[in-house]
Amino acid sequence: MASLKQISNKISSVKGTRRIMSAMKLIAAVKLQKAQSILMSYRPYSDSYLDIAKGLANNSDESLHPLLRNSEEKKSLNIVFMTSDRGLCGSFNSSLIRKIETFIKTETKGYEKVIITSIGRKGRDHFKKSDLEQAGSHDGITERNYENYTKNIASEIAGNFVGGKTDEVMLVYNYFKSALTQEMQMEKLLPIPRTQSSGEEEKQGEFIFEPNKNEVLKYVLSNYVEVRVQRALLESVTSEHGSRMTAMDNATRNADSVVRNLTLLFNKTRQASITTELMDIVNGTEALRKGGGMD
Amino acid sequence: MADKINLEIVTPTKVVLNTEVDEVAAPGALGEFGVLPGHVPFITTLNPGLVKYSEGSSEKSFFIPGGIFNVEGDKAKILTESAELPSDIDSTEANQQLEDIQNLIEGFSGSKKELAELNKKLKLAEARVEAS
Repeated sequence: MASLKQISNKISSVKGTRRIMSAMKLIAAVKLQKAQSILMSYRPYSDSYLDIAKGLANNSDESLHPLLRNSEEKKSLNIVFMTSDRGLCGSFNSSLIRKIETFIKTETKGYEKVIITSIGRKGRDHFKKSDLEQAGSHDGITERNYENYTKNIASEIAGNFVGGKTDEVMLVYNYFKSALTQEMQMEKLLPIPRTQSSGEEEKQGEFIFEPNKNEVLKYVLSNYVEVRVQRALLESVTSEHGSRMTAMDNATRNADSVVRNLTLLFNKTRQASITTELMDIVNGTEALRKGGGMD
Repeated sequence: MADKINLEIVTPTKVVLNTEVDEVAAPGALGEFGVLPGHVPFITTLNPGLVKYSEGSSEKSFFIPGGIFNVEGDKAKILTESAELPSDIDSTEANQQLEDIQNLIEGFSGSKKELAELNKKLKLAEARVEAS
């Protein structure tokens, strides 16, 4: 059995860890609140924007805009995925990475090559060793500076697509449902998805465009990738904080139960040692008394 | 036919306005236009300027730096980078901004693309001064 000293050392170390985790939980909660409020106010804008963009794309010939190019032969697929820079956030990164790996193994047979763009250090580090081509990697994105990154990332993705380096772009990120649940999303980013339903076309055909359809299309689509990327970045950052908060909350609770068990063990051990000592004393005096009696 | 039109002004940071109005006027790419309830589906790009709308007898407005305007059914939606109340625009600050840009353009010696960018900013600043 471990000595009292060892047990009490262990208790204090677990308590120390618990303190750190509960502090991390509080920090994550504050960051989550900030990120969530930015995300919630961005959602209506991006939703409306993307609705309009998709409606326009649906009703336009693909020769009208380079982002609509839908090649017959899809040679290279660009997977853009968002992970966090730091760990200790539960299965936030690992489940996303696992899903991408399965996807690459099973679904990408038709492509000549797969190019990845990693956003966030965890994902980049994971795929460093693989033989997939890296089109770019970005890290250091938080809810405070995401705007500075959006433009760069978006123009890089769009540039590769327009330049013909990639024929299709997928966007993978964690969608923020609540602090407890984040849902992984795997969406097609480029070419802009078009559903070929005739009813939709007719409806769109009634629209009047000013100054003309091409100008409107050009204006709206010029920001399409940016809006999608910014939305996904915000979703991902918010999910990260939510996931970390939940993970740290669980960890704090686990630490509590470990401390409880260790304290119990500590008390038992102390009691046992007291009993042993008492028995020694009693035995000693008993022996002395008996010895004295013979005198 | 509805006799009101639902006007929504949405920016990346806020839903600025979501209300029933009688009429909307906005600075379209081909000049200012008005929308009444029952308008045909319509999409246009916007120039910097004032979006005006009337609610009953009162007329209100917002300054926007451009964006997209979309009418469908009895819903009108304006997507824009920002929206300010004209009374919130500081006219000395707006004038200063305009002057700065004018000075920049005067002593400009860069590429055509950059000049076009500056001219865009000039138009925005002019419209902002006008609105203030």
